[in-house]
Amino acid sequence: MNPPELHALQQGDETAWNAAFDWLWPTVFAVAQLKLHPFLPDEVEDMAIEALEEMVDKVRSIKSLDELKSLAASIAHHRAVSRLRNRFAQKRGSGKTESFDAPTDEAGHIKEPASEASPLAELEQKELAERLHQSLTQLKPPSGQILQDFFLHGLLYEEIAKKRGVAVGSVGVYLKRGLEAMRLIWGRDENTCKMR
Amino acid sequence: MKNEHFFDLAMKVIARQAADAERAELDALLASQPELRAEFARLEEDAHVAKETLPLIGAMEATVGELPAYARGRLQTKVRQTLGRPGAKQDLDRRAAWGWRWMLGLAATAAMVLFVAMPMFRTPGGPVIQVAMLDTVGTVRGADTNDTEIFKQQWKNSSFQSFDKTDLLENWETNWPAGNKTAGKVIYDRAAGEVRVTLLENGKSLQKIFVIEHDLATTVQEAGNFIREQTKR
Repeated sequence: MNPPELHALQQGDETAWNAAFDWLWPTVFAVAQLKLHPFLPDEVEDMAIEALEEMVDKVRSIKSLDELKSLAASIAHHRAVSRLRNRFAQKRGSGKTESFDAPTDEAGHIKEPASEASPLAELEQKELAERLHQSLTQLKPPSGQILQDFFLHGLLYEEIAKKRGVAVGSVGVYLKRGLEAMRLIWGRDENTCKMR
Repeated sequence: MKNEHFFDLAMKVIARQAADAERAELDALLASQPELRAEFARLEEDAHVAKETLPLIGAMEATVGELPAYARGRLQTKVRQTLGRPGAKQDLDRRAAWGWRWMLGLAATAAMVLFVAMPMFRTPGGPVIQVAMLDTVGTVRGADTNDTEIFKQQWKNSSFQSFDKTDLLENWETNWPAGNKTAGKVIYDRAAGEVRVTLLENGKSLQKIFVIEHDLATTVQEAGNFIREQTKR
C-alpha cells in the first residue's frame, strides 16, 4: 500500500484521503487495541476512527509525509490514554467497586493503564510523534526486532539467535545498541553507557 | 569482555530469565564493584522504557486490517468540513476534462432557472424550506432533471435553485428569508456526494450532513425525515 501525497491531503483531495485512511488504519487500530483492548475492547474501533478524524484536523501542520504515521500513532495513543483515565476517574468518582474486567496485579488490584511512571505519559502529542518517528528510523534491523523478541516476547538469547539468524554472542550486542539508541531518543542520554 | 558478561547477566536478571547461579554471580559482581550498581539501575530504566515504547513502535509497522466501510463516509465528511472541497485548480482541471459537457450543463442550469421563478409556497405555520443544488462540473440533462424531481417530490412547495459556483451558493446559504420563525435550507452538493441541511429556529442554527451512501432518493428521504423531526414541535 503506497502512502498518499501530502499536498493532496492538505488540499482535501478525496482520493488521497481514501488512500491515507487505508494506509493509517492498521496503525491507529493497533495502537487503540494495544491500549484499550484489556479495558474497553468494545471501543477500540470507534476510537481508531476518532484518531483518524483528528488526523484530518492536524494534517496542515505536517511538513513531511514521514510524520504522518507517527502522528497518527501519537494521536491514537493520547486519545486512548485519555479515554482510559476518564473511565477510571468516573469509576472512582462514582464509588463503584466492581471490576473493569481489566488485568489485575498479584494483590488483585486493577492495573490502571498509563501510569505516571510511563515514559510516554508526559510527552505532548507532537513530541511523542517525533520520538516514535525517530525510533522507527534509528532502530536499524535487527536491533529493533531483537529488542521486541527479548523484552516483549521473552525469548532467550539462543532463541533470538536462531530466529534472527545471528550468532548467540551477537544478541547482546544488538540489544545493547538498541537500548542505547532508545536511550538517546527518549531523552535519557545524560550519561552514555560505557560498558562495551 | 568482562563488561559484555555483566551486560548479559544484567539483561537476563532484568528479563527474569536468569538462573539462580547467574543471579548470584550478578549479585557478587555488584557487591565487588559498586560502580556497576548505577549501571544496573540504568539498564533497568532502559528496559522499562523499551517495554513501554516498543509496542507502540511495533504498532506503527502494522499493515493488517481494513478500514470499516461505514467509517469512510464519516471520515470523508470530516475532510470536507475541515479542509473544504478540492482547490480551484482542481476544479479548473476537472472542468477542462468535462468541457464537452459544459453546454449541456448550461442548458440544464437554464432549466433550473425556471424553478427560481417558481413562487415560494409554504404550509401555514410550517417552516420555509429552500432547496439548492451545487453543480460545479455540469452534468447531462437527464441526470440533472431526475435529481431535481427527487427534491421536488420531497419538498413540493419549496423553491429550488441551482448554482455552478461555490461563492454564489454561499451567498444564498447565508441569506435567510425574513420574518420566519423557522426556516431551513437544503443543499445538494453533487461533487461532494452529500446533502446538507441547515435549520434556523429563533436565531439558532443546526446543521446536519447526509452523505449519499446508496442513492440520492434515500438520502433526500433521510434529510426530509430529519427536518420533520426537528420542526414538528
